[in-house]
Amino acid sequence: MNNQVMLSEEELDIGMVEHIEVDLLLEAIYRLSGFDFRKYMKSSIIRRIQNRMRLERIGTITAMQEKIIHEKGFLEKILNDFSINVTEMFRDPSFFRSFRQKVVPELKKLENIRIWHAGCATGEEVYSMAILLKEEGLADKTTIYATDMNENVLQKAKQGTFSLVKMQTYTKNYMQAGGTEAFSEYYTADDHFAYFHPSLLKNISFAQHNLVTDSSFNEFHVIICRNVLIYFTGELQNQVQDLFYESLCTGGFLGLGDKESLRFSEKTTHYLEFDCTEKIYQKR
Amino acid sequence: MIGRKRFGIRGKIFIGYLVIILCLVVSIIAVNNQVSSMQKERNYIINHDIEVHGLTNEIEKQVLDMENGQRGFILTDDESFLEPYNQAADDWKNNYNKLYDLISDNPSQQKRLQDIRDDINQWIQYTAEPSIQMKREGQDSDVLSFFRKDTARTKGVEDIRNQFDTFRTTEKGYTKERADKLDHQNDVLKTSLFVLLFLVVLISSAIAVFVSGSIVKTVKAVVRSIAAMSSNGDVSQRIHVKSRDEIRDLAEATNNLLSVVESREWLQSSTNEVVERYQGTSTIKVLGDKFITGIAHFTEASTGAIYIREGEGNKASYIKKGVYAAPMNSAGRESFKQGEGLIGQCAAEQRVMVVEDLPDDYQMIGTGLGEVHPRSLLMAPVMFENEVIAVLELASLGTFTQEHVELVENTTKTFGQTIDSVIRRMEVVRLLKESQAMTEELQAQSEELQTQSEELQMQSEELRMINEQLEQRSIEAEGKSAELQQAKVELEEKAKQLALSSRYKSEFLANMSHELRTPLNSILILSEMLAENSAKGLSSEDEEFARVIHSSGQDLLNLINDILDLSKVEAGKLEMHFSEVNMSELPSQLERNFGHMADKKGLTFEVKKDIDVPDIFYTDEKRFQQIIKNLLSNAFKFTEKGRVSLHIAKDKALHPEVGADHWLKVSVKDTGIGIPKDKHDLIFEAFQQGDGATVRKYGGTGLGLSICLEFVKLLGGQLDLESEEGEGSTFTLYIPSLPNGLMKSEPLLPFNETESEVAATIMDDSAIEEVKESEDDIVRGQELISVKENDSSFKGKKVLIVDDDHRNIFALKTALENEQMNVITAENGTACLEMLEHENDVDIILMDIMMPVMDGYETMRIIRAEKSMADIPIIALTAKAMKSDREKCLEAGASDYISKPLKIEQLFSVMRVWILNK
Repeated sequence: MNNQVMLSEEELDIGMVEHIEVDLLLEAIYRLSGFDFRKYMKSSIIRRIQNRMRLERIGTITAMQEKIIHEKGFLEKILNDFSINVTEMFRDPSFFRSFRQKVVPELKKLENIRIWHAGCATGEEVYSMAILLKEEGLADKTTIYATDMNENVLQKAKQGTFSLVKMQTYTKNYMQAGGTEAFSEYYTADDHFAYFHPSLLKNISFAQHNLVTDSSFNEFHVIICRNVLIYFTGELQNQVQDLFYESLCTGGFLGLGDKESLRFSEKTTHYLEFDCTEKIYQKR
Repeated sequence: MIGRKRFGIRGKIFIGYLVIILCLVVSIIAVNNQVSSMQKERNYIINHDIEVHGLTNEIEKQVLDMENGQRGFILTDDESFLEPYNQAADDWKNNYNKLYDLISDNPSQQKRLQDIRDDINQWIQYTAEPSIQMKREGQDSDVLSFFRKDTARTKGVEDIRNQFDTFRTTEKGYTKERADKLDHQNDVLKTSLFVLLFLVVLISSAIAVFVSGSIVKTVKAVVRSIAAMSSNGDVSQRIHVKSRDEIRDLAEATNNLLSVVESREWLQSSTNEVVERYQGTSTIKVLGDKFITGIAHFTEASTGAIYIREGEGNKASYIKKGVYAAPMNSAGRESFKQGEGLIGQCAAEQRVMVVEDLPDDYQMIGTGLGEVHPRSLLMAPVMFENEVIAVLELASLGTFTQEHVELVENTTKTFGQTIDSVIRRMEVVRLLKESQAMTEELQAQSEELQTQSEELQMQSEELRMINEQLEQRSIEAEGKSAELQQAKVELEEKAKQLALSSRYKSEFLANMSHELRTPLNSILILSEMLAENSAKGLSSEDEEFARVIHSSGQDLLNLINDILDLSKVEAGKLEMHFSEVNMSELPSQLERNFGHMADKKGLTFEVKKDIDVPDIFYTDEKRFQQIIKNLLSNAFKFTEKGRVSLHIAKDKALHPEVGADHWLKVSVKDTGIGIPKDKHDLIFEAFQQGDGATVRKYGGTGLGLSICLEFVKLLGGQLDLESEEGEGSTFTLYIPSLPNGLMKSEPLLPFNETESEVAATIMDDSAIEEVKESEDDIVRGQELISVKENDSSFKGKKVLIVDDDHRNIFALKTALENEQMNVITAENGTACLEMLEHENDVDIILMDIMMPVMDGYETMRIIRAEKSMADIPIIALTAKAMKSDREKCLEAGASDYISKPLKIEQLFSVMRVWILNK
């Protein structure tokens, strides 16, 4: 209830003029950079914009638009703001456990497996998937395509180097996700970072891909796209769901974030609820 | 003070006053003399002149009295008139004599007085006496004629009075003359008084001017000098005074003060300049350099270094952070500890040390042209909050003055504070950066959370609609669910009853079998004794009966044993006793037991054992033999012709996770009736045989195979069947050698302790063999452990190793101590808990699982139950990363696990992850 009250108050903060300003700003960003945020959830975009305005002490959105157009480097800043990179290894361990227990047996029947990790951010979940597949003996016949629209985070992802501070959480997640080895088999650590073994990277290829503007690039057996669609409006979600549907082979799996659902999408009827609590769907 | 005599202000004033007082005394004496002479003069006038006038008047009056007496008598002839006459005539001469004496100083007046006397005597003699005589004699006429004739003579009294007037007038003239003289004297006195006054004033003024002038002049000179100094702030000037008085003292004292002020000012300004130099620096290195450069410049030192403390307490050491004119051969120390060398001593004693007269071979100071020796050294501690936070050392070609030392003391006072604040600032900057990074991350996370919650809200609206529809359906479903619930409850009740009755059955069977065996035992023993017929009391027929009873009893016993075993298995009461089995004896033993049966049925019996089968095998011998005997009896039972063969071979591990020494494969092959494919599963069920007809033909209970299967499971093995109807059967037994038996709770996942314990010794795989062999080899093995560079996250951390194997502890301890960790050990869970009771600063625990007294699971559970230790990282060392082990570890509270044999790099990585927050 509190949330609701807070939200509605926040909505009130934004007047008609601001909405126009935001629309114009997103249009400008699209025309300048090719990144299309016009169909992203306004509330989120507005919060990111307001955040940046607060940091830069800019009074109006139009003033910020001017900076975006004329000030070098500012566009990149705001693009980074819009790209939200929250992730962790074996995030929502139950998802990975379910994947291991239910999806992997299905995958074992295949000759070659192609997995698309859309919106992979800094790659934690991609590495988690690689570890899981290795333990299940599927690593050698799998290729993981990890994509994100943000080139910077992809660079990070390619390094496979994660802060040591988070490793305790990751270890717990790994264990809860049903890991069959010791998590420490996969990394070496120094005082600050854990370096994941490069062998995990063997079957992963990282590429820049924008879900909003780019099209399908292969046919996949599994598509993982967790907590990405929540930033999109319903219309854009449907568009991306079309893209996924088109990119999945028959019987292929689609894994979504734990708060996401296909239930309200136009594509609901084209999928089976393979594991509805973990949001794993199978294309009919 | 040598030379001229000192003439002080006091002397000047004293002498001035003395002169003035003298003048005053002289003038007062003079005036006094004058006044007393005037007094005398006046007194003389008053006494002498008044007496002269009085006597004159007296005499005149006496003359008149005589005349009046004479005349009265003559007129009246009354004798009483003659009385005043006689009186006066007697007295006047006295008065005359007195007067005469009085005017003795004035002869002219004396002459005049003698004339008056003569006249009086004449009057008495010639006028008065004769007239009186005549009267008495009554010669009145004569008297009258006397008076008539003697008119001229009566003029005598008039003359006397006139003479007296003249005398008086003259005397008055004298008096006036004297008064005038007195007046004149008075005037002179007045004038001289004024003159004296004037003179005294003049002299006093002159003295005042001289004395004050001599004082004020010098004072003014001093004031001028001080004013000059204060106006331009130049304290280098000095006051010069020529006089030898207190002012000179004052000037000298002021000069001393100025010298002190000047040195203070130098100290203050130098201090300020040094402080200014390092102001605003943000790193310790720059700060140290700037400080030492500044201080060296002001103390005219030729070289210097500053050492700043790093670390706390005993581990604190002083690291060189700044140098001034670093020695060319850079022989200076890079760091030292408290009390180490003279400079360490300086830090320990917390005082400044100055060393003079350094030996010639002391470190050189390099210049462009050559090298010179420093003459003196200065070491000073920099204090902060009563602790030595840094130490500086300066070397000089000259000597250090007291001012230099004071400057060093002064600057170090504030420098401690600065070092501390710079360190703190650096820390703050670092923390700020960290917190900024975290804030950004948090922002991103909260962003996502918000977005999610928004999405949820939208979904919840739709969900609400869906819910409404669902509610409708759920109402309908509820009715059905109630019915189902009812049915479920009933079913559950039934199931419970079933389970109970099944358990009762098993327990009953177990008890019954036992109860049956006891009487049967006596039947068997007795019947055997009877059959032996040692007393020869029985007929051969009776003997035969006894043998029948014995063999029937034996059959019955076997049957009961079977039932007992099976029911025990089912009731979970059967325990396996793992021990050594000598495999070399097995073939001959089997041949002995079954040879006669083969002979009886005319079958060929073959027992074959491969050469590579190890002699020693660990399992439950009794059950193992029972399995093989059952299989063989079975084979013989269902084989009419042909052969029965048994083949023992070493096999590859069927279930590697049980961790067995090795596996045996025992195949029992017959050429009997075989088993149809669809009955393969069935024959292992209790009380089952191929089909009803078989039962009738071959008899038996059908318990054999199911018991075999249960036993095989309990021994961790597997029993396979290959058979075609009419083609014979092959039963293949796969069984592991388990020196330590199976884990009780995990009968199918055995745990081979000895092997894994030894293997746990953390070394490269190649080193494991060496470790197995001897303790000496462990020492050799340690050399294989890669010694890493100083690893700061491990340094000084306390690790507790809990393991019952000394070799493991030894190897682990050596490896971790190489990382500068503080290692303590415990041999089992109980020891570990005891240790933790008084070692409350343990950073991480490495916990072996299989231990005597108290195992790892139990230990971890107790540790976790203890509130203070709920967060301590525990790394479980599992023999093999078996799924069940891992789950048990996590359940018991392990933070992470790592499987043996340990890889050192992996162990370190894990420890880094878990030690991080400690």
